[in-house]
Amino acid sequence: MDGPHDLGGKDGYGPIDVDAPPFREGWEARQWALSKNVPLPGGTIDWWRHAIENMDPVTYATQPYFVKWCLNEIAHRVDQGVFTLEEILSGTPATRQDPPAEPLDMDGTLARLRANNTDFRVEMDQPPAFAKGDTVRTLNTPSPGHTRLPAYARGHLGTVIAHHGGHLYADAGARGEHIGAHLYTVEFSAAELWGTDTPDTVCLDLWEPYLARA
Amino acid sequence: MTEYDAKKIGDLHRHLHSHMPSDPALRVKALESLAVEKGLVAQETIDTWVEMYAEKVGPKRGAKIVAQSWTDPAFRQRLLDDAGQAIKEFGYEGHATEHLKAVENTADTHNLVVCTLCSCYPFAVLGMSPIWYRSAAYRARAVKEPRAVLEEFGVTLGNDIKVRVWDSTAELRYLVIPERPAGTEGWDAERLAALVTRNAMIGTERDLQVT
Repeated sequence: MDGPHDLGGKDGYGPIDVDAPPFREGWEARQWALSKNVPLPGGTIDWWRHAIENMDPVTYATQPYFVKWCLNEIAHRVDQGVFTLEEILSGTPATRQDPPAEPLDMDGTLARLRANNTDFRVEMDQPPAFAKGDTVRTLNTPSPGHTRLPAYARGHLGTVIAHHGGHLYADAGARGEHIGAHLYTVEFSAAELWGTDTPDTVCLDLWEPYLARA
Repeated sequence: MTEYDAKKIGDLHRHLHSHMPSDPALRVKALESLAVEKGLVAQETIDTWVEMYAEKVGPKRGAKIVAQSWTDPAFRQRLLDDAGQAIKEFGYEGHATEHLKAVENTADTHNLVVCTLCSCYPFAVLGMSPIWYRSAAYRARAVKEPRAVLEEFGVTLGNDIKVRVWDSTAELRYLVIPERPAGTEGWDAERLAALVTRNAMIGTERDLQVT
């Protein structure tokens, strides 16, 4: 979707706050911890990202980063029936008291961090359509759903610089489908993307359905 | 179960944003309180996780990996071949590192990492990303005018150096291996690691200072 999240190459932004730390407020660090420690019964990482993309564009552009995470975590739990809207808005659970969760100590959280490591590879039956060194052209049509082909890279010529085998295809993952597609790194020149005369390039990791032989 | 309904989730977002208190701290507190009351997480776990990210997980991990790559050519090769596997030698795998890729700066190439579509970052090796990395300005500008962005970080590059920007669009994550500074011959990995900054591993710093 051409949502508010697709920021690459957009103009009008001012200077970068180069000295900004990872967290300025205590609630930001707590939201990070909540997102990594409150279990979510269903969904995929791609659906999680797509849900943020579907925020109202004004909300997306103006709310702090971890407020968007907070709203998204709540929306997912309401969507999946973990919370009701009434519970989150009143702050009071409607059902009887559930038994408290067992706390994790430092070793427990370190183990949970390591267990977060996720392998996205998928065994493919089809051989890859492209090989390192091939020139490819990206799709020039917007996707109605989730896609990881940014608008700035649509309809451009690039060179395949790596093939990574099959990886879970994000566009399908956002629909709850577990489908693999061949994944490539494609390098685009700054001249091709922006018409500039620097020697620079931009490399993107793109799935095979985004690409056509040039 | 979710129906993966984009309109429904968008409507939920609108409802929550207009009905919850506007103070961010109160919003996060509401989520935390309900999650704790429902027995989904213990408050102590949240405290410990925050402490872990502040004290045990951070750029020091990445710095150790980079320093090792400078002193141990066999490790450097393993890191360049498959960084996701190589960092397991340190036990540093975790959130978003299985498909980690190490990209090396050279005399004529400078690497810069961004995620224009969200904020992908190799958390388990670099800790939480700085706010600027997640900002709209950085995400919008890094791909289109990387040299102007680098100037704001104090890095000026001539046209004899190519900037390669890595936009993390899939589940690969990127770690920049800066060049080892001159004047550090004979240093061990621990001493070298102290020179490696977070920004150098994102690519918004190039020449490391020898202190």
